[in-house]
Amino acid sequence: MNASTHEPLTLSLSVNGETHDLQVPARKLLSDVLREDLGLTGTHVGCEHGVCGACTVLIDGRPARACLTFAAQMEGHEVTTIEAVGRPDALSALQQALHEEHGLQCGFCTAGIVMTFEHYLRENPTPTASEVRDVLSGNLCRCTGYQNIVAAVLKAAARMRGESV
Amino acid sequence: MSSAFTEIGRALPRKEDRRLVTGRGRYLDDLAVPGALHVSFVRSPHAHARILGIDSAEASEMPGVVGIFTGRDLDQLTTRLRIAPPIEGLQPTELTTLPIEKVRFHGDPVACVVATDRYLAEDAAECVTVEYDQLPAVTSIAQALAPDAVLVDETLSSNMVSHQSLCVGDPAARRAEAHRVIEARFALHRHTHVPLETRGCLADWDDGRAHLNMHIGNQVPHPLRSQLAKRLGLSESQVTVISPDVGGAFGQKIALYREELTVAALSRHLRRPLRWREDRMENLMAAAHAREYECRTRTSVSETGRILGLELELDEDFGSYCFFPANYMARVIALIMTGPYRIQDYAYEVRVALTNKCGAGPMRAPMAVTSWVMEGTIDAIARELGLDPIEVRRINALGPEDLPYKMPTGELLEDVTPRETLETAVAAIDVAAFRERQAQALCEGRYLGLGLCTVIESTTYGSEFYKSAGIPGSGHEAAWVRIEPSGAVNASVGLMGTGQGYESPLAQAVAEGLGVRSEDVTVHMGNTDVAPYGMGSRGGRGATAGGGTLYLCGLKARERVLVIAASMLDLNGAGELRMRAGQIERMIDDNWQETGLTLADVARRAYLDPLALPEGIAPGLDFSHSYDPPAMTYSNSTHACEVEVDPRTGAISIDRYLVAEDCGTVLNPIVVRGQQQGAIAMGLSGALLEQVVYDGSGQNLSATLADYLVASPNELPEFEILHHHTPNRRTPAGIKGMAEGGVMGAIGVIANAVSDALAPRGVTIERLPLTPQSIRALLREAAPSPKKRTQP
Ligand code: FES
Ligand code: FES
Repeated sequence: MNASTHEPLTLSLSVNGETHDLQVPARKLLSDVLREDLGLTGTHVGCEHGVCGACTVLIDGRPARACLTFAAQMEGHEVTTIEAVGRPDALSALQQALHEEHGLQCGFCTAGIVMTFEHYLRENPTPTASEVRDVLSGNLCRCTGYQNIVAAVLKAAARMRGESV
Repeated sequence: MSSAFTEIGRALPRKEDRRLVTGRGRYLDDLAVPGALHVSFVRSPHAHARILGIDSAEASEMPGVVGIFTGRDLDQLTTRLRIAPPIEGLQPTELTTLPIEKVRFHGDPVACVVATDRYLAEDAAECVTVEYDQLPAVTSIAQALAPDAVLVDETLSSNMVSHQSLCVGDPAARRAEAHRVIEARFALHRHTHVPLETRGCLADWDDGRAHLNMHIGNQVPHPLRSQLAKRLGLSESQVTVISPDVGGAFGQKIALYREELTVAALSRHLRRPLRWREDRMENLMAAAHAREYECRTRTSVSETGRILGLELELDEDFGSYCFFPANYMARVIALIMTGPYRIQDYAYEVRVALTNKCGAGPMRAPMAVTSWVMEGTIDAIARELGLDPIEVRRINALGPEDLPYKMPTGELLEDVTPRETLETAVAAIDVAAFRERQAQALCEGRYLGLGLCTVIESTTYGSEFYKSAGIPGSGHEAAWVRIEPSGAVNASVGLMGTGQGYESPLAQAVAEGLGVRSEDVTVHMGNTDVAPYGMGSRGGRGATAGGGTLYLCGLKARERVLVIAASMLDLNGAGELRMRAGQIERMIDDNWQETGLTLADVARRAYLDPLALPEGIAPGLDFSHSYDPPAMTYSNSTHACEVEVDPRTGAISIDRYLVAEDCGTVLNPIVVRGQQQGAIAMGLSGALLEQVVYDGSGQNLSATLADYLVASPNELPEFEILHHHTPNRRTPAGIKGMAEGGVMGAIGVIANAVSDALAPRGVTIERLPLTPQSIRALLREAAPSPKKRTQP
């Protein structure tokens, strides 16, 4: 055991456009710092070993596993979490489509899926169903069987292209 | 479905979605309690070993550590779990909260570290030294039942913790007179639930009030409270169970687990809030496992494939501990085995064995293997007799003329449509065209297969069922409906959703009964101080028991509302009144006309001007109701699936999947469809990929999600769903319940489809999962491919 990983480190973390000065141990995961130190509990932890995708956040705009990242690595980077995407009374296009298409059940996987596709749809406005399935394969969902999530992503993509669906 | 309903059956989007899609849900780990201590468990590295000593001296001195507690400590703070229902052939068992003398599986918790932070608790847990004396591990049913087997539980006379049999009619005579007797075997492997949110709890002992607030994602808050109070020596007034949003459960969040009881007991002992969230490795190793069965059927048949008699042997690997009566899950399988078919001569023998593996529990469709066994048996009959498997189904299937039908076990089938769903599925597939494609493909060395699987799904278990099973307990559900002074409608029920999306459909049940819009009803669940004592969520009982009770309670409330409304309108009685969308309407000249009176007006009268109420009517609008469903309700379905098996890689691709399902009156088609899809996905994932693996020494080799594989969207097809809606005439609104049949059908249909695909190679699937490796192993041993045979 290395005592230095226990000692609090002073960090400046930029999350959802706000800067936070924090004291956290070097070994503390980004997922835990977001949830415990910043109270951003929308980022969920399903496995802590990089498989399930529930903890997906954006780092400098790109999806990444918060459970495989130390908060200490995030200095100088911008982290975006689900809290910055829509609100209950103002859903993003994808969130609205997930609601309409019944693309979630327990909702534990949902934040990770929203973060994955918030990024993906910006870069790939016209995905096919099989491309969506491919990208979605990084996010485990135990409840839905995925079919409605795929439909929701396609619907959101169409709306983001300005089509009325 | 009855068109008389205005709220039941609406495709109302889910009320919980807005908070969940924006990350504003509140799951257990999202609850902030300042000063809460964190818990980490020290777990056994051995499958079976005596505990010689636990040395926590070094760990106790580590930063942040508040205390380290062992089985002996917990035995002072809690009572033991004794499971001894008076069931013939079931051995009584007793458990301490944490093991004291020996550990029984890899992952068994032996000590509990309490520290100021989770990281520090885990550091200290690694430094607790446990000295073990290893014992031989029992890792299979055969080993467990061998005459000289080591005992997993030394207080039992053998590892066969439960043994039951039944013989109805005269299966031996049927065998003697049969055209053929056909044997078939089915081995289903060990699964685990994998809710995306692992188990966990936050126990907050209020020392001043001597009261435990237990925050825990759980399917059955009230039964859990009863257990907690009993095991802690508290009254049920001293415990509140509060279930927040739950990230999936699938049966894993029913029992009071040893870890949770430990956390509760230590919160009280330390007078501090304590929290625990298991990590994924613990969840995969030590939460609960399920479904490990070996089955054999012997079927006596006529020349045409008519089943004359059926004999079933069923063995279950129950793991090391009984958190449920060990006969409980296997019994239902044996009870409903004959399912959609006319069979009266039937015998079963069911043996349940303890082994040195994680304890078994109910997992979504605990009876899932049933449909594979029965439908695999039907396919075996067709194969052996050279008949069309669809014809064999047809001549044995129950049709309308057979109903109501008493199964040989006494189970009563009413208002089910197995023959109809079979025909719907067969018609949708276009079997003739498929067979042509299949033959064509075979010429090219490609293996296509078609599977069918008809399911009889036991959904709602009433008290009568439990009584006849000898299990103490109730199948009832309870609800209240309150109309507040403003006219706002609150309701509650003893169910607790774990992701199914109860809030809309249950509001619809209340709204239908009461006569308001579902949007205007809020259903409160999960807090035992708020909700009435009900039996919670398990099986497919949510809609029938929960929805049914709420509907009846809504009707009760409406009756009172209309009586008050009648007096406000100076009418003699409420006979010509009704309420729709919260508006009181009156029948005038054969037409419903608005009276201008609303539910809010009635509520105001009931609460704020009670002296003006009709004589004998008490102030307020507060109603409760409880309801006990019939002994059992059944839904049914037929699954059909087309696959292609790649003989070189063993990979299976699903080209088409459809299900014709009859689950009676549907509260909310959106939610029901989601459950159908989710259940099929879980069944396919289990049949194709998932597997808990123990090696010969009892080491768990599947303790990460990279080893225990759950289906991604790339392995799953689109599901086509074809609807039948035959209401159950005995339940409120004709509701039947559902959500597990998809698992049952998926397991059976994929196995049958792969058997069909590989029939030219003489391969029959007798063992799941159907991983590429297992398919390749079967093909290596199989007959050479017909195509190769023609090559020089
Ligand atoms: S929690 Fe990060 S990938 Fe599962
Ligand atoms: S909705 Fe439950 S895991 Fe995806």
